[in-house]
Amino acid sequence: MAQFYPGTSQVAQNRRNFCDPEYELEVLREISDEDVVKVLGHRAPGEEYKSVHPPLDEMDEPDDIIRELVEPIDGAKAGDRVRYIQFADSMYFAPAQPFLRARSYVYRYRGIDTGTLSGRQIIEARERDVERISKELLQTEYYDPATSGIRGAGVHGHSLRLDENGMMFDMLRRQVFNKETGKVEMVKDQIGKELDEPVVLGEPLDEETLRAKTTIYRIDGEAYRDDADAVEVLQKIHVTRSNYGYIPK
Amino acid sequence: MDIEIFPHRILGADTTEKLLNDIESLNSVKRTVIQGPRLPPQDAIDRKYGDRRVINVNGEDIELKVKTGRIFVELYEESAIDEIEVICNEHIANGFDINTSRSQYIRKQRTVSDGLKYGENTEIPEELIGLSDQRSQFSENVSIIKKDSIE
Repeated sequence: MAQFYPGTSQVAQNRRNFCDPEYELEVLREISDEDVVKVLGHRAPGEEYKSVHPPLDEMDEPDDIIRELVEPIDGAKAGDRVRYIQFADSMYFAPAQPFLRARSYVYRYRGIDTGTLSGRQIIEARERDVERISKELLQTEYYDPATSGIRGAGVHGHSLRLDENGMMFDMLRRQVFNKETGKVEMVKDQIGKELDEPVVLGEPLDEETLRAKTTIYRIDGEAYRDDADAVEVLQKIHVTRSNYGYIPK
Repeated sequence: MDIEIFPHRILGADTTEKLLNDIESLNSVKRTVIQGPRLPPQDAIDRKYGDRRVINVNGEDIELKVKTGRIFVELYEESAIDEIEVICNEHIANGFDINTSRSQYIRKQRTVSDGLKYGENTEIPEELIGLSDQRSQFSENVSIIKKDSIE
């Protein structure tokens, strides 16, 4: 059995769940294909995919064993452009966080490139694959409308205190809380261009659910030092790396 | 003495209004300053979703310009801290800290910025020192209606 992450705490279990491609992520909300396209802002809904090369079938490719072994993803077959979606996750019990996103993406998706920074996490792939992946990320427990942000630019806010209604700070005000409906609406696309109609992202998860689903160790939640198993493995990695450069002698 | 109320979440206008009304009603409170990030610009999004409004504290209308991140309170006597804690418990749902470690949280001395803004020789009443926004721009306080032209 694959070993994804050590530890006996709920946080460790959640991290294993995300990383395990066999684990089926819980679908928490419905977002239509059209809304995903609007949020991404790479093309207008209904517009044709732009391409950077002809479909692979029509191309005269050299003979290569790797080309025969690896089945291209749909976007690569059609010759789509490479596009992205980027998330910022609040430190206040957001369901996912950048390093976990990177680890789990590479376990779950093919044909992607992912980049990790302290406060944001980008995933790049061919356009139609980005749309498919984005839909999955937005509908499942990867995402919470209040503590996760879809932010292509202007990502600042992951370490700031939340607003009273639980929303993470966003200088471009893309995701806003509608007091009348109690739902979060996206009024701009991920880089801050205003949308004609707001996209409803659903209700924010309550604090209890967030604490149960989070993958972030926190002193006021589950502290990392209390998870003896995880600390032991970390120390082992640290020592073997420092002393022997991972070479067992 | 000064204290700092540090809520664990940024407070909205409703909570700020209730909190300030109760704090200001205490006799041992001398003055109060709210500090925090500025409210976003007034546009269509702000009008529909924003939290900007005029709050009423002890009968005075106050236009909120910032979100309440911290509240500094100057007290005549230390015993008022307990009363303030009761008030905060009542209104702040997501937790708060009351910090007393510094001797002062509200500035009591005139600074060079004050001199530049109000004039070096202008007398500022003592109770107003430390209440102005240090980062405010000249254009926020002064409206130039018509420029004089030199002939």
